[in-house]
Amino acid sequence: MIEDAGALMARVRERDTNAFESIYDANHRLVYGVALRMLGDAPGAEDVTQAVFLKIWNAPDLFRGGNFAAWIVRVTRNRALDVLRSRTRSEGELPEALPEQETLEDVAFARIDAERVRAALAALPPEQREPIELGFFGGITHEEIARRCKIPLGTIKTRIRTGLRKLRAALDETVPA
Amino acid sequence: MNERTDHDMLDDVAVYALGALPAGEARRVRRHIAGCELCRDEYARLQATASLVGATAATQGDARDCPGTLLKPRIMRAIREQAQPLKVRNAAPRAWPAYLVAAACIAIAIVSSVANIALTGQYRQAQEELARTRQQSTAASQTLLATRTTLNDLVSSDAKRYPIDNGEIVTRSGRLYVAMRSLPQPPRGKVYQAWTLAKGAKKVAPSLTFVPDERGVAVIAIPVDARGLAAVALSVEPDGGSKQPTTKPIAVVPLT
Repeated sequence: MIEDAGALMARVRERDTNAFESIYDANHRLVYGVALRMLGDAPGAEDVTQAVFLKIWNAPDLFRGGNFAAWIVRVTRNRALDVLRSRTRSEGELPEALPEQETLEDVAFARIDAERVRAALAALPPEQREPIELGFFGGITHEEIARRCKIPLGTIKTRIRTGLRKLRAALDETVPA
Repeated sequence: MNERTDHDMLDDVAVYALGALPAGEARRVRRHIAGCELCRDEYARLQATASLVGATAATQGDARDCPGTLLKPRIMRAIREQAQPLKVRNAAPRAWPAYLVAAACIAIAIVSSVANIALTGQYRQAQEELARTRQQSTAASQTLLATRTTLNDLVSSDAKRYPIDNGEIVTRSGRLYVAMRSLPQPPRGKVYQAWTLAKGAKKVAPSLTFVPDERGVAVIAIPVDARGLAAVALSVEPDGGSKQPTTKPIAVVPLT
Protein backbone atom coordinates (compact mmCIF):
# COMPACT_ATOMS: atom_id res chain seq x y z
CA MET A 1 0.00 0.00 0.00
CA ILE A 2 2.68 2.48 1.00
CA GLU A 3 4.77 1.72 -2.09
CA ASP A 4 1.72 2.03 -4.29
CA ALA A 5 0.85 5.39 -2.83
CA GLY A 6 4.40 6.65 -3.29
CA ALA A 7 4.45 5.53 -6.90
CA LEU A 8 1.05 7.07 -7.52
CA MET A 9 2.14 10.35 -6.02
CA ALA A 10 5.16 10.35 -8.30
CA ARG A 11 2.75 10.09 -11.24
CA VAL A 12 0.57 12.82 -9.78
CA ARG A 13 3.62 15.08 -9.83
CA GLU A 14 3.73 14.37 -13.56
CA ARG A 15 0.08 15.53 -13.79
CA ASP A 16 -1.29 12.02 -14.27
CA THR A 17 -5.02 12.30 -13.60
CA ASN A 18 -5.47 8.51 -13.57
CA ALA A 19 -2.97 8.23 -10.72
CA PHE A 20 -4.80 10.98 -8.89
CA GLU A 21 -8.08 9.15 -9.34
CA SER A 22 -6.55 6.00 -7.89
CA ILE A 23 -5.41 7.95 -4.86
CA TYR A 24 -8.86 9.41 -4.48
CA ASP A 25 -10.55 6.01 -4.71
CA ALA A 26 -8.20 4.52 -2.13
CA ASN A 27 -8.38 7.33 0.39
CA HIS A 28 -11.60 9.31 0.05
CA ARG A 29 -13.40 7.35 2.76
CA LEU A 30 -10.56 7.99 5.17
CA VAL A 31 -10.42 11.70 4.38
CA TYR A 32 -14.17 12.15 4.47
CA GLY A 33 -14.45 10.08 7.64
CA VAL A 34 -11.93 12.16 9.54
CA ALA A 35 -13.54 15.38 8.36
CA LEU A 36 -17.02 14.15 9.20
CA ARG A 37 -15.94 13.03 12.65
CA MET A 38 -14.34 16.39 13.37
CA LEU A 39 -16.92 18.70 11.85
CA GLY A 40 -20.07 16.69 12.40
CA ASP A 41 -21.78 17.75 9.20
CA ALA A 42 -21.70 16.23 5.74
CA PRO A 43 -21.44 19.44 3.67
CA GLY A 44 -18.48 20.61 5.71
CA ALA A 45 -16.86 17.20 5.44
CA GLU A 46 -17.28 17.25 1.67
CA ASP A 47 -15.73 20.69 1.45
CA VAL A 48 -12.75 19.50 3.45
CA THR A 49 -12.48 16.35 1.33
CA GLN A 50 -12.44 18.41 -1.83
CA ALA A 51 -9.88 20.82 -0.41
CA VAL A 52 -7.59 17.99 0.68
CA PHE A 53 -7.58 16.26 -2.68
CA LEU A 54 -7.12 19.49 -4.58
CA LYS A 55 -4.18 20.21 -2.33
CA ILE A 56 -2.75 16.82 -3.22
CA TRP A 57 -3.14 17.67 -6.88
CA ASN A 58 -1.85 21.22 -6.64
CA ALA A 59 1.03 20.57 -4.25
CA PRO A 60 2.03 16.90 -4.51
CA ASP A 61 5.55 17.73 -3.36
CA LEU A 62 4.19 18.29 0.13
CA PHE A 63 4.19 14.51 0.48
CA ARG A 64 7.81 13.62 1.03
CA GLY A 65 7.52 9.90 1.57
CA GLY A 66 6.62 7.75 4.55
CA ASN A 67 3.20 6.50 5.49
CA PHE A 68 0.81 8.09 3.02
CA ALA A 69 -2.31 7.30 5.03
CA ALA A 70 -0.85 8.90 8.13
CA TRP A 71 0.15 11.93 6.08
CA ILE A 72 -3.25 12.39 4.51
CA VAL A 73 -4.90 12.06 7.91
CA ARG A 74 -2.72 14.93 9.14
CA VAL A 75 -3.53 17.04 6.11
CA THR A 76 -7.22 16.37 6.62
CA ARG A 77 -7.08 17.13 10.30
CA ASN A 78 -5.29 20.40 9.65
CA ARG A 79 -7.86 21.46 7.09
CA ALA A 80 -10.76 20.49 9.36
CA LEU A 81 -9.13 22.40 12.21
CA ASP A 82 -9.06 25.47 9.99
CA VAL A 83 -12.79 25.12 9.63
CA LEU A 84 -13.28 24.54 13.34
CA ARG A 85 -11.15 27.57 14.11
CA SER A 86 -13.24 29.72 11.85
CA ARG A 87 -16.36 28.45 13.61
CA THR A 88 -15.25 28.58 17.19
CA ARG A 89 -11.98 30.49 17.35
CA SER A 90 -10.68 27.69 19.54
CA GLU A 91 -7.12 27.44 20.74
CA GLY A 92 -4.62 24.90 19.59
CA GLU A 93 -1.59 24.43 17.44
CA LEU A 94 -0.74 21.49 15.27
CA PRO A 95 2.41 19.44 15.33
CA GLU A 96 4.74 19.61 12.42
CA ALA A 97 4.51 17.16 9.58
CA LEU A 98 5.29 13.52 10.05
CA PRO A 99 8.93 12.55 10.34
CA GLU A 100 10.37 12.49 6.88
CA GLN A 101 12.11 9.15 7.17
CA GLU A 102 10.08 6.09 6.45
CA THR A 103 10.44 3.60 9.26
CA LEU A 104 9.68 -0.06 9.56
CA GLU A 105 6.93 1.01 11.85
CA ASP A 106 5.33 3.04 9.09
CA VAL A 107 5.41 0.05 6.81
CA ALA A 108 3.92 -2.13 9.50
CA PHE A 109 1.21 0.36 10.31
CA ALA A 110 0.34 0.62 6.67
CA ARG A 111 -0.80 -3.00 6.83
CA ILE A 112 -3.26 -2.36 9.61
CA ASP A 113 -6.79 -1.76 8.54
CA ALA A 114 -9.06 0.70 10.22
CA GLU A 115 -10.96 -2.04 12.00
CA ARG A 116 -7.87 -3.17 13.87
CA VAL A 117 -7.13 0.37 14.95
CA ARG A 118 -10.73 0.77 16.07
CA ALA A 119 -10.49 -2.39 18.12
CA ALA A 120 -7.21 -1.32 19.70
CA LEU A 121 -8.58 2.10 20.52
CA ALA A 122 -11.79 0.64 21.92
CA ALA A 123 -9.74 -1.64 24.15
CA LEU A 124 -8.15 1.32 25.92
CA PRO A 125 -9.63 2.29 29.28
CA PRO A 126 -12.18 5.08 28.78
CA GLU A 127 -10.12 7.50 30.83
CA GLN A 128 -7.31 7.14 28.29
CA ARG A 129 -9.36 6.75 25.12
CA GLU A 130 -11.57 9.79 25.66
CA PRO A 131 -8.85 12.42 25.97
CA ILE A 132 -7.10 10.97 22.92
CA GLU A 133 -10.25 11.13 20.82
CA LEU A 134 -11.10 14.59 22.12
CA GLY A 135 -7.62 15.84 21.34
CA PHE A 136 -7.47 14.36 17.87
CA PHE A 137 -11.01 14.83 16.58
CA GLY A 138 -12.17 17.66 18.79
CA GLY A 139 -9.36 19.99 17.85
CA ILE A 140 -9.10 21.27 21.42
CA THR A 141 -6.15 21.69 23.72
CA HIS A 142 -5.23 19.52 26.67
CA GLU A 143 -6.39 22.30 28.96
CA GLU A 144 -9.87 22.19 27.46
CA ILE A 145 -9.82 18.41 27.64
CA ALA A 146 -8.97 18.63 31.33
CA ARG A 147 -11.82 21.08 31.90
CA ARG A 148 -14.32 18.91 30.07
CA CYS A 149 -13.24 15.76 31.84
CA LYS A 150 -12.84 17.59 35.17
CA ILE A 151 -9.44 16.00 35.58
CA PRO A 152 -6.19 17.76 36.59
CA LEU A 153 -4.10 18.84 33.61
CA GLY A 154 -1.10 16.75 34.59
CA THR A 155 -3.28 13.66 34.85
CA ILE A 156 -4.73 14.29 31.40
CA LYS A 157 -1.25 14.58 29.88
CA THR A 158 -0.14 11.36 31.49
CA ARG A 159 -3.29 9.55 30.37
CA ILE A 160 -2.80 10.72 26.80
CA ARG A 161 0.75 9.47 26.74
CA THR A 162 -0.11 6.21 28.44
CA GLY A 163 -3.00 5.66 26.06
CA LEU A 164 -0.95 6.37 22.97
CA ARG A 165 1.80 4.04 24.13
CA LYS A 166 -0.73 1.27 24.86
CA LEU A 167 -2.31 1.81 21.48
CA ARG A 168 1.04 1.56 19.82
CA ALA A 169 1.90 -1.60 21.72
CA ALA A 170 -1.46 -3.17 20.85
CA LEU A 171 -1.02 -2.39 17.17
CA ASP A 172 2.51 -3.73 17.21
CA GLU A 173 1.08 -7.05 18.33
CA THR A 174 -1.56 -7.12 15.62
CA VAL A 175 0.62 -6.17 12.69
CA PRO A 176 0.68 -9.11 10.32
CA ALA A 177 4.08 -10.49 9.51
CA MET B 1 18.06 16.59 31.81
CA ASN B 2 17.13 14.72 35.00
CA GLU B 3 14.70 11.84 35.19
CA ARG B 4 11.81 13.90 36.46
CA THR B 5 12.22 16.44 33.70
CA ASP B 6 12.37 13.62 31.19
CA HIS B 7 9.07 12.29 32.40
CA ASP B 8 7.38 15.68 32.36
CA MET B 9 8.59 16.43 28.88
CA LEU B 10 7.57 13.05 27.54
CA ASP B 11 4.00 13.69 28.65
CA ASP B 12 4.11 17.02 26.84
CA VAL B 13 5.64 15.36 23.79
CA ALA B 14 2.71 12.93 23.70
CA VAL B 15 0.16 15.75 23.85
CA TYR B 16 2.11 17.59 21.17
CA ALA B 17 2.10 14.50 18.95
CA LEU B 18 -1.67 14.37 19.35
CA GLY B 19 -1.90 18.00 18.24
CA ALA B 20 -3.52 19.16 21.46
CA LEU B 21 -1.00 21.67 22.80
CA PRO B 22 -1.68 25.40 22.66
CA ALA B 23 0.65 27.46 20.49
CA GLY B 24 3.07 28.62 23.17
CA GLU B 25 3.62 25.20 24.67
CA ALA B 26 3.88 23.66 21.24
CA ARG B 27 6.76 26.00 20.42
CA ARG B 28 8.50 25.08 23.65
CA VAL B 29 8.13 21.36 23.01
CA ARG B 30 9.23 21.77 19.40
CA ARG B 31 12.40 23.52 20.51
CA HIS B 32 13.05 20.83 23.09
CA ILE B 33 12.51 18.02 20.62
CA ALA B 34 15.04 19.56 18.28
CA GLY B 35 17.76 19.07 20.89
CA CYS B 36 16.66 15.92 22.72
CA GLU B 37 17.07 12.58 21.01
CA LEU B 38 14.93 10.77 23.59
CA CYS B 39 11.96 13.05 23.07
CA ARG B 40 12.49 13.18 19.32
CA ASP B 41 12.22 9.40 19.12
CA GLU B 42 9.19 9.39 21.36
CA TYR B 43 7.56 12.06 19.22
CA ALA B 44 8.17 10.12 16.02
CA ARG B 45 6.60 6.98 17.50
CA LEU B 46 3.63 8.65 19.09
CA GLN B 47 2.84 10.94 16.18
CA ALA B 48 2.57 7.94 13.89
CA THR B 49 0.31 6.32 16.47
CA ALA B 50 -1.77 9.47 16.86
CA SER B 51 -2.27 9.61 13.10
CA LEU B 52 -3.69 6.11 13.24
CA VAL B 53 -6.40 7.37 15.55
CA GLY B 54 -7.67 9.17 12.49
CA ALA B 55 -7.93 5.87 10.67
CA THR B 56 -10.72 4.87 13.02
CA ALA B 57 -12.90 7.48 11.36
CA ALA B 58 -12.62 5.96 7.89
CA THR B 59 -16.11 5.36 6.56
CA GLN B 60 -17.16 1.84 5.71
CA GLY B 61 -19.41 2.17 2.70
CA ASP B 62 -22.67 3.03 4.36
CA ALA B 63 -24.23 5.65 2.11
CA ARG B 64 -24.87 7.94 5.06
CA ASP B 65 -21.17 7.99 5.86
CA CYS B 66 -19.84 8.51 2.35
CA PRO B 67 -19.27 11.69 0.43
CA GLY B 68 -21.95 12.52 -2.10
CA THR B 69 -21.73 10.84 -5.48
CA LEU B 70 -21.15 14.20 -7.14
CA LEU B 71 -18.02 14.95 -5.17
CA LYS B 72 -15.66 12.77 -7.14
CA PRO B 73 -16.82 14.04 -10.55
CA ARG B 74 -16.51 17.58 -9.25
CA ILE B 75 -12.95 17.05 -8.08
CA MET B 76 -11.92 15.14 -11.19
CA ARG B 77 -13.40 17.81 -13.44
CA ALA B 78 -11.48 20.48 -11.57
CA ILE B 79 -8.13 18.76 -11.82
CA ARG B 80 -8.60 17.80 -15.47
CA GLU B 81 -9.39 21.40 -16.29
CA GLN B 82 -6.16 22.33 -14.59
CA ALA B 83 -4.13 19.65 -16.26
CA GLN B 84 -4.99 20.73 -19.79
CA PRO B 85 -3.79 24.34 -19.67
CA LEU B 86 -0.52 23.26 -18.07
CA LYS B 87 0.34 21.78 -21.45
CA VAL B 88 -0.42 25.16 -22.99
CA ARG B 89 1.98 26.69 -20.54
CA ASN B 90 4.74 24.34 -21.57
CA ALA B 91 4.14 25.10 -25.23
CA ALA B 92 4.19 28.85 -24.80
CA PRO B 93 7.63 30.42 -24.69
CA ARG B 94 6.48 33.70 -23.18
CA ALA B 95 6.62 33.52 -19.43
CA TRP B 96 3.99 35.93 -18.24
CA PRO B 97 1.03 35.02 -20.47
CA ALA B 98 1.61 31.30 -19.98
CA TYR B 99 1.81 31.93 -16.32
CA LEU B 100 -1.51 33.63 -16.43
CA VAL B 101 -3.06 30.60 -18.09
CA ALA B 102 -1.75 28.29 -15.41
CA ALA B 103 -2.95 30.67 -12.76
CA ALA B 104 -6.43 30.86 -14.23
CA CYS B 105 -6.72 27.11 -14.17
CA ILE B 106 -5.52 26.84 -10.63
CA ALA B 107 -8.21 29.30 -9.67
CA ILE B 108 -10.84 26.87 -10.96
CA ALA B 109 -10.12 24.43 -8.21
CA ILE B 110 -9.00 26.39 -5.22
CA VAL B 111 -12.31 26.67 -3.46
CA SER B 112 -10.75 28.42 -0.53
CA SER B 113 -10.35 31.38 -2.89
CA VAL B 114 -6.60 31.08 -2.93
CA ALA B 115 -5.51 31.64 -6.50
CA ASN B 116 -2.06 31.49 -7.99
CA ILE B 117 -1.77 33.89 -10.85
CA ALA B 118 0.90 35.98 -12.42
CA LEU B 119 1.64 39.61 -12.04
CA THR B 120 2.22 41.50 -15.21
CA GLY B 121 2.21 44.96 -16.51
CA GLN B 122 1.43 43.65 -19.97
CA TYR B 123 -2.30 43.78 -19.64
CA ARG B 124 -2.90 43.57 -23.36
CA GLN B 125 -1.05 40.25 -23.56
CA ALA B 126 -2.97 39.00 -20.57
CA GLN B 127 -6.27 39.79 -22.21
CA GLU B 128 -5.24 38.04 -25.41
CA GLU B 129 -4.11 34.99 -23.51
CA LEU B 130 -7.25 34.90 -21.47
CA ALA B 131 -9.38 35.25 -24.59
CA ARG B 132 -7.67 32.30 -26.24
CA THR B 133 -8.11 30.20 -23.16
CA ARG B 134 -11.79 31.02 -22.97
CA GLN B 135 -12.24 29.69 -26.48
CA GLN B 136 -10.78 26.39 -25.39
CA SER B 137 -13.28 25.77 -22.67
CA THR B 138 -16.64 27.25 -21.89
CA ALA B 139 -16.41 26.04 -18.34
CA ALA B 140 -12.97 27.52 -17.91
CA SER B 141 -14.13 30.84 -19.26
CA GLN B 142 -16.37 31.46 -16.29
CA THR B 143 -13.46 31.09 -13.97
CA LEU B 144 -11.28 33.19 -16.19
CA LEU B 145 -13.75 36.00 -15.94
CA ALA B 146 -13.37 35.91 -12.22
CA THR B 147 -9.63 35.69 -12.58
CA ARG B 148 -9.66 38.63 -14.95
CA THR B 149 -11.18 40.69 -12.18
CA THR B 150 -8.16 39.83 -10.14
CA LEU B 151 -5.86 40.65 -13.03
CA ASN B 152 -7.61 43.95 -13.58
CA ASP B 153 -7.09 44.79 -9.96
CA LEU B 154 -3.46 43.79 -10.00
CA VAL B 155 -2.50 45.75 -13.08
CA SER B 156 -4.82 48.70 -12.58
CA SER B 157 -3.22 52.10 -12.37
CA ASP B 158 -5.57 53.08 -9.58
CA ALA B 159 -4.69 50.10 -7.40
CA LYS B 160 -2.77 50.88 -4.24
CA ARG B 161 0.52 49.04 -3.99
CA TYR B 162 2.57 48.39 -0.89
CA PRO B 163 5.95 46.88 -1.81
CA ILE B 164 7.38 44.16 0.42
CA ASP B 165 10.28 41.77 0.02
CA ASN B 166 9.61 39.43 -2.90
CA GLY B 167 6.29 41.01 -3.82
CA GLU B 168 3.65 43.50 -2.85
CA ILE B 169 0.30 44.00 -1.18
CA VAL B 170 -2.33 45.33 -3.58
CA THR B 171 -5.71 46.86 -2.78
CA ARG B 172 -8.40 48.09 -5.13
CA SER B 173 -12.06 48.83 -4.48
CA GLY B 174 -11.92 47.06 -1.15
CA ARG B 175 -10.32 43.93 -2.60
CA LEU B 176 -7.03 42.83 -1.12
CA TYR B 177 -4.26 40.71 -2.61
CA VAL B 178 -0.95 39.37 -1.43
CA ALA B 179 1.12 39.12 -4.62
CA MET B 180 4.51 37.43 -4.35
CA ARG B 181 6.97 37.07 -7.22
CA SER B 182 9.94 35.21 -5.79
CA LEU B 183 8.93 33.89 -2.42
CA PRO B 184 11.14 31.05 -1.14
CA GLN B 185 9.44 27.78 -0.33
CA PRO B 186 8.59 27.62 3.39
CA PRO B 187 10.46 25.13 5.56
CA ARG B 188 9.23 21.57 5.53
CA GLY B 189 5.88 21.25 7.30
CA LYS B 190 5.33 24.99 7.19
CA VAL B 191 3.19 27.34 5.14
CA TYR B 192 2.87 31.06 4.77
CA GLN B 193 -0.12 32.61 6.46
CA ALA B 194 -1.69 36.03 5.96
CA TRP B 195 -2.99 38.08 8.87
CA THR B 196 -5.27 41.08 8.90
CA LEU B 197 -5.61 43.83 11.48
CA ALA B 198 -8.99 45.56 11.46
CA LYS B 199 -9.12 49.26 12.14
CA GLY B 200 -9.34 49.79 15.87
CA ALA B 201 -8.48 46.17 16.63
CA LYS B 202 -5.61 45.19 18.88
CA LYS B 203 -5.12 41.66 17.63
CA VAL B 204 -4.61 40.34 14.14
CA ALA B 205 -7.08 37.88 12.67
CA PRO B 206 -5.88 34.71 10.90
CA SER B 207 -6.43 34.57 7.18
CA LEU B 208 -5.47 32.21 4.39
CA THR B 209 -2.44 29.95 4.30
CA PHE B 210 -0.51 29.37 1.11
CA VAL B 211 2.69 28.16 -0.47
CA PRO B 212 4.22 29.64 -3.60
CA ASP B 213 4.50 27.60 -6.77
CA GLU B 214 7.80 26.23 -7.96
CA ARG B 215 8.70 29.63 -9.35
CA GLY B 216 8.12 31.31 -6.03
CA VAL B 217 4.94 33.01 -7.20
CA ALA B 218 1.65 33.21 -5.35
CA VAL B 219 -1.21 35.65 -5.45
CA ILE B 220 -3.67 35.38 -2.63
CA ALA B 221 -7.05 37.05 -2.76
CA ILE B 222 -7.81 37.79 0.86
CA PRO B 223 -11.56 37.44 1.52
CA VAL B 224 -11.99 40.65 3.49
CA ASP B 225 -12.93 44.25 2.76
CA ALA B 226 -9.59 46.06 2.69
CA ARG B 227 -11.29 49.34 3.50
CA GLY B 228 -11.84 48.14 7.04
CA LEU B 229 -8.24 47.12 7.61
CA ALA B 230 -5.38 48.91 9.27
CA ALA B 231 -2.64 46.46 8.31
CA VAL B 232 -1.74 43.14 6.70
CA ALA B 233 1.02 40.79 7.81
CA LEU B 234 2.61 37.56 6.65
CA SER B 235 4.32 34.90 8.71
CA VAL B 236 5.53 31.33 8.46
CA GLU B 237 3.28 28.91 10.34
CA PRO B 238 2.80 25.16 10.76
CA ASP B 239 0.92 23.53 7.92
CA GLY B 240 -2.76 24.18 8.51
CA GLY B 241 -2.17 27.61 9.90
CA SER B 242 -2.35 29.10 13.36
CA LYS B 243 -4.83 31.15 15.29
CA GLN B 244 -2.14 33.62 16.29
CA PRO B 245 1.28 34.23 14.71
CA THR B 246 3.83 31.82 16.11
CA THR B 247 6.81 33.34 14.33
CA LYS B 248 8.06 36.82 13.70
CA PRO B 249 6.18 38.20 10.67
CA ILE B 250 8.17 38.39 7.46
CA ALA B 251 6.15 41.44 6.47
CA VAL B 252 3.89 43.92 8.25
CA VAL B 253 2.20 46.42 5.97
CA PRO B 254 0.13 49.33 7.29
CA LEU B 255 -2.67 50.16 4.84
CA THR B 256 -3.38 53.80 4.17
